[in-house]
Amino acid sequence: MTTEFRGPELVRDDDLTRELRSIYAAPTEGAWWAGLEQRINARIDAAVAADEWWTVPDRWLRVGLMAAGFAVIVAGAMVLRSQTQQATRMAYQTIVDPATIDLLEVAERDKLTPQQITLRALTGR
Amino acid sequence: MTAAATAERSTGLVPPRARVVAERPADERALVLAAQRGEREAFSELVRTHERRAYAVARAIVVNHEDAEDAVQEAFLHAYRALHRFLPDQAFGAWLHRIVANAALDITRRRKVRDADELPETVASPFRDPAESSELRQRLKDALDSLPARQRAVIVLHDVEGFKHAEIGVTLGIPEGTARSDLHYARSHLREVLGSVRSEL
Repeated sequence: MTTEFRGPELVRDDDLTRELRSIYAAPTEGAWWAGLEQRINARIDAAVAADEWWTVPDRWLRVGLMAAGFAVIVAGAMVLRSQTQQATRMAYQTIVDPATIDLLEVAERDKLTPQQITLRALTGR
Repeated sequence: MTAAATAERSTGLVPPRARVVAERPADERALVLAAQRGEREAFSELVRTHERRAYAVARAIVVNHEDAEDAVQEAFLHAYRALHRFLPDQAFGAWLHRIVANAALDITRRRKVRDADELPETVASPFRDPAESSELRQRLKDALDSLPARQRAVIVLHDVEGFKHAEIGVTLGIPEGTARSDLHYARSHLREVLGSVRSEL
């Protein structure tokens, strides 16, 4: 579906055109146009300066992102290491715990199954 | 010479555009390429060459001189930032006019919203609008302001600036037929106003 206009076109009205040209007359002073040119250039310069203000950190942004990535990797490795150490310490404590040693002796003496050993460890009896 | 051209000469209504096109420098492509390489002086030269036409396009769309200047500044800034996307083999003027038209339409939309919220304010301007000089012109100006922005732009670009329908279509981003119909309705409306004012005076 098109909005193409196929109707008769009104011919130009010279009086109307003259009035329109008078209403829409652009400034004629050369100084005004020179001023407009200066204002346009000043606006562009200001915008370019503002853009540059953002591009300076942009250069550092890459370095910052790399440093942040490295920091995340180091932190992750440290957390992992800490968790491993904690698991080792808990396993060691479980083995050297006197209650555990007693239970192991009882289990050997009474010929307990692994399920019975676990149950006794949990109930403390 | 066509009949229309002869008529224009006899009535003294030669569109300003004809003069500007004749003055267009042949090395515009070189200027665009230099500006794309980052030469600010080359872009300043493009500003010098096109600011009058850019103003005319903006003024056809917005309702006052201050908004037209604002749209022109906005458009040149946008063009500067988007220059790397412009293909130098195309017409720089047509590309710029489209940007100017968009900037002017944006300002018109913003002004509509602002005017709906605020009371009208008188702004002192160093440039006195010639339309203020007579009752007839004031009534015609009111009628122009009451037209939809696109119809106003079409009649001004066509009758005042000498744009062809196809060029108006490209500038405003509308089909050529729509430009024709907008021109028809705008002329018809303004003729009515002109007729009634004359019968009153």
